[in-house]
Amino acid sequence: MRSLKRLLPLLLAAPLTLAARLTIALPPASLPSYEPSALPASTHATLLGPPDGKGSTYRSAPLSRANTFVFEGLGQGSYLLQVQARDFVFAPLRVDVAAGEGGKETVDVFQTFRGHEWSNRGVRLGGSSGGAEGGDADTVVVDVRPAAGREFYQQRGGFELLSFFKNPMILMALFSLVLIVGMPYMMENMDPETRAEFDEMQKKSPLASPDNPAARLQNFDLAGWMAGKTSGQSQGQSEIQGPAQGQAAVEGGSADAMRCIIDLGLYGR
Amino acid sequence: MRPQLLLACIAWLATSTLAVFEDDAFNVDYHHQLVGLPQQHTSFFHPVRPGSGAVLYTLSDKLVLGAISPKDGSVLWRQLLKAKSNTTNGFLRAGEGQDIVVSAVDGQVAGWSTSNGRMAWSHDIGEYSVRDLEILELRDGKETDGGKDAVVLFGDKHPIVRRLDGNTGQVKWEFVDSSGDLPYQISASATTIYLVSLHTTILNGLKIKCASLNPVTGHKDDQYTLSSDSDLSSAESIIFVGANSASPIIAWTDKSYSVLKINIIGNKNVASFNINPHGAESVERVVLHAPHHINSVSHFLVHYQTAKHHWAEVYHIDLRSHTVSKAYDLPRLAGKGTFSTSTSDANVYFTRITEDEVIVVSSASHGVLGRWPIARHENSGTFERPSHVHAVSEVAAKSGTLTSVRSAVLSSTGDWQLILNGESQWRRLEALAGTTTAAWAELHEEAALAHELELEGHSNVLAAYTHRVRRHLQDLQKLPEWLQNLPKRLLGSFGGSRTAVKQDALEHDSFGFHKLVIVATEHGRLIALDAGSSGKVVWNIQAFNLAPGTKWQDAELHITEGLLTVQDPVSGETASFETLTGKRALHSATLGSRSAASTKISYDLAGEELRGVFADRSNASPVWDFKPSEGERIQAVTARPTEDPVASIGKVLGDRRVLYKYLNPNLVLVTTVSDSARSLSVYLLDSVSGSVLYSTTHSDVDVTRTISSTVSENWLAYSFTLDSSSVSTSQGHELVVAELFESAIPNDRGPLEASSNYSSMQPSHAAGDGAKPYVVAQSYHIPEEISRMAVTQTRQGITSRQLLVVLAESNSIVGIPRVFIDPRRPIGRDPTATEAAEGLIRYSPVIEFDPKWYLTHKREVIGIKKIITSPALLESTSLVFAYGLDVFGTRISPSFSFDVLGKDFNKLQMLATVAALGIGTFVVAPLVRRKHINARWQL
Repeated sequence: MRSLKRLLPLLLAAPLTLAARLTIALPPASLPSYEPSALPASTHATLLGPPDGKGSTYRSAPLSRANTFVFEGLGQGSYLLQVQARDFVFAPLRVDVAAGEGGKETVDVFQTFRGHEWSNRGVRLGGSSGGAEGGDADTVVVDVRPAAGREFYQQRGGFELLSFFKNPMILMALFSLVLIVGMPYMMENMDPETRAEFDEMQKKSPLASPDNPAARLQNFDLAGWMAGKTSGQSQGQSEIQGPAQGQAAVEGGSADAMRCIIDLGLYGR
Repeated sequence: MRPQLLLACIAWLATSTLAVFEDDAFNVDYHHQLVGLPQQHTSFFHPVRPGSGAVLYTLSDKLVLGAISPKDGSVLWRQLLKAKSNTTNGFLRAGEGQDIVVSAVDGQVAGWSTSNGRMAWSHDIGEYSVRDLEILELRDGKETDGGKDAVVLFGDKHPIVRRLDGNTGQVKWEFVDSSGDLPYQISASATTIYLVSLHTTILNGLKIKCASLNPVTGHKDDQYTLSSDSDLSSAESIIFVGANSASPIIAWTDKSYSVLKINIIGNKNVASFNINPHGAESVERVVLHAPHHINSVSHFLVHYQTAKHHWAEVYHIDLRSHTVSKAYDLPRLAGKGTFSTSTSDANVYFTRITEDEVIVVSSASHGVLGRWPIARHENSGTFERPSHVHAVSEVAAKSGTLTSVRSAVLSSTGDWQLILNGESQWRRLEALAGTTTAAWAELHEEAALAHELELEGHSNVLAAYTHRVRRHLQDLQKLPEWLQNLPKRLLGSFGGSRTAVKQDALEHDSFGFHKLVIVATEHGRLIALDAGSSGKVVWNIQAFNLAPGTKWQDAELHITEGLLTVQDPVSGETASFETLTGKRALHSATLGSRSAASTKISYDLAGEELRGVFADRSNASPVWDFKPSEGERIQAVTARPTEDPVASIGKVLGDRRVLYKYLNPNLVLVTTVSDSARSLSVYLLDSVSGSVLYSTTHSDVDVTRTISSTVSENWLAYSFTLDSSSVSTSQGHELVVAELFESAIPNDRGPLEASSNYSSMQPSHAAGDGAKPYVVAQSYHIPEEISRMAVTQTRQGITSRQLLVVLAESNSIVGIPRVFIDPRRPIGRDPTATEAAEGLIRYSPVIEFDPKWYLTHKREVIGIKKIITSPALLESTSLVFAYGLDVFGTRISPSFSFDVLGKDFNKLQMLATVAALGIGTFVVAPLVRRKHINARWQL
């Protein structure tokens, strides 16, 4: 008799475990590199639901050999079901367990949205109350597919020739290079008339005129200015200084160009 | 439609966030995949599938079920089994030729696939915890191809035995013994299941009761009682109940280990053997090793251990006459030794591992089949001579001759290693799984230099000068080595990571990535890891010898100037260790002197309330008391980190106005829960005055789930799970972030504006709300429960902070950028131009954890209990270390690595560009010069 008393809770517990059994199955999906049978052992599903006693129901079911998660003995209520996989994201699901006809419980699975009201449920994915696809409440099987894969890594922006030439600085440099290299040939191949016209134009242009402040600054004859010479006579002086000045210009220019390239390298990153 | 839009929005935002680079992953971060200390009765070699190679399976004291590759010691798969109680004991069995291992922890019995760790079946026995588990190896001719059935014993006063189907876990039959005896173990032979229970006599002796059950029906066939009550007083004295062997036995001794009694189950005869202690030392431990295979010969070994010696005796069982006889002795050797049993066909081999040898003998005769000296392993940072705790072995024997033996040995240092023919194949640092506390320690060098400089500053000029010259001469000795390494280093830095010099020695690097993490484990060990070189163990010592069964839980590690000071958990005295070497320091620093100097008032949890007292204990009466409202209990107390540098005291808005941060070094966040109202209250206190700066309450909170919280700078964060009983609201988990400002109005410092001094006691002359910070808070839905929070730390606090959260469900650690949890995100509208300039994005109620935020990327870290962070020398970088069960560490740059060239900076390309430019200049220069001259002279 005493043993019967001990057994009683066990016997009572037995029908409960048969109450509602939900199986979440992971069929193959058309997602790259998704293979349900290759999911790691840590893949599991969690179920957060109404209180049973002191706290909420919080259950975890590991992935079985048949690529399923099985929850047994679900009490009535509304649950939040989430599938946790390392490399794939699954949409959250809502599981409703309610009393049905003949003492049986019905299990329905819906899509749900985070941050929305709980009553705002989405597409019904399966269950027993519809009857057709689910079968009886003991064996509700619902197929779940991942929403997306997880991409953890950031790719380094490696060196790309195309992106290098897309850089406006490089384009400008190239354009000026073409101009510098190509100009003398263009000049040579020009017919005399156009050339004369071009020379005329260049003479007239403010850049070439001695009044151009930039040109004046460049050809500034310090010694001459100190000696009180007029601008008209400075021409000859500068001719003699020419080569030396040229060298200085080149050296300065190379340093500038170097800096520019270094800048470009940094911008390219 | 809306969720998709949301996802798209998040995906767009994600492009601007930073993640782990693919080439940094697995290089910058390190991870010790641990299982915990394996136990001998739950560890074994078992083939993955019949005929294939064996894998090492174990169920550890942390209840991690793991499959370890015997080749390299890597984890093939792990399952963290959850126990309802805080038990550390479980059962793990595998049937011969099965592809399932069966575990039992508390009330959960489950079968797991050997190859991939997937669950095959599970069975819940409810509130009871499992007392024993066996696999039925029946020889009744009715065996099918499927799984072999399991038998479980449970119940506290009434032993209950269940036979579970090996394929489905369904109950085949159940037997209840209503005698009121204590269930002890079950044992199965080829034909019968025996239930061993203990009957307490009036004189507190124990009688062993054996009932034989029919394996097909579960009915009791026979029962007998052994009159063991004269020498058996506690269940600990039973040393063995054999299972799954041709003739299972029960063996027990008396308390003083003077006599060994053996009963062959199914027979009432008790054989008794006197234990010869071989000298003056008393026997401390008697262990019986018997094969677990039903086909193997019925021989067994009894291992005796004294304080300094060990020996063993091998016994044979005559199956026909049911007698036990001693076959031979294994000689007495000094030190501690372990024995393990392995079978090959019907032969039984005993592997004896002493401190310096592996010896294999056959159970049939005492001739040594194989003997290998154990190679002294390379320095693993321990000074002590480790002894072996237990071992499991597998022998390879071909037609009776032994070819090799491999043993998985747990040593007293907590290392689990595989010894193949005397040579160590791999070593796992399972002691780290018991980490309870961890702390960062600087490498001592700069402290030493500072000390030297200080010395120079305080002595007279001449002495200081000679001291300096001597120091420089000493430094000069390192020059040849430095010069020798220079080309290698240059090549390394230009050739990319492949040829980079690995820093083996513990030396200071210019970026400050090399730091020590010193961890204290529950077994009284102190272990130092080098965070800069993949978490390598620098030293590993047994700091304190704890009494058996006790754990070192609340260790406090104080690190000052190269000294680690801890309180001895046994004697209560303080002990100091050198952080670099782990050697016990001669002089020990006094505890608490530093903290007392910096803080005047400390607080402590006293019962149900928080109490602030004078730190120097000059006055015993509390300065302040914080008592939560009626019905609430304090769930956690989190303080702002003591070292939390803040670069800017204000937040610059888009229109160049400034919102001043409420910066108070004494912020303490107290979370309380009310079980009856199912609500969570959050109180932000000033730990000096005890005044409540901010408080809020959330209703419909599931108070049984984890509530985590953190405070940093001028903001706080906490997370909780919504109570799912109220169906009208939403369900899931929430994260709340609140930020504190001095005033709601930009360019206004509130009541603090005019004051040059600040007091916690009297925040301002204006009474009332004026003294309190202005708080902005926002809450978000998060996809998962957060089990622990931490905030990154950088040297100056210029780099924006990241909220680090541990996700226990997805076994990962995620760093949430501050931008996403800025409580000033505009709600219900797009940000205005000025807000956008400030970097604010539109509020969305959901924060999806972007995969790019996962610091752990593809690694799976289980059982993380805490994260600690530390600044590196680089402002951009914060070092992260997480522990609990697994140990994980990495370094992150929350605002990109702005102060260091990344790996993608191609140094070779830069050099080539400069070289090409140089050559170009030299080639072009004469041309240009000639042209210039020509131009001038040709006019």
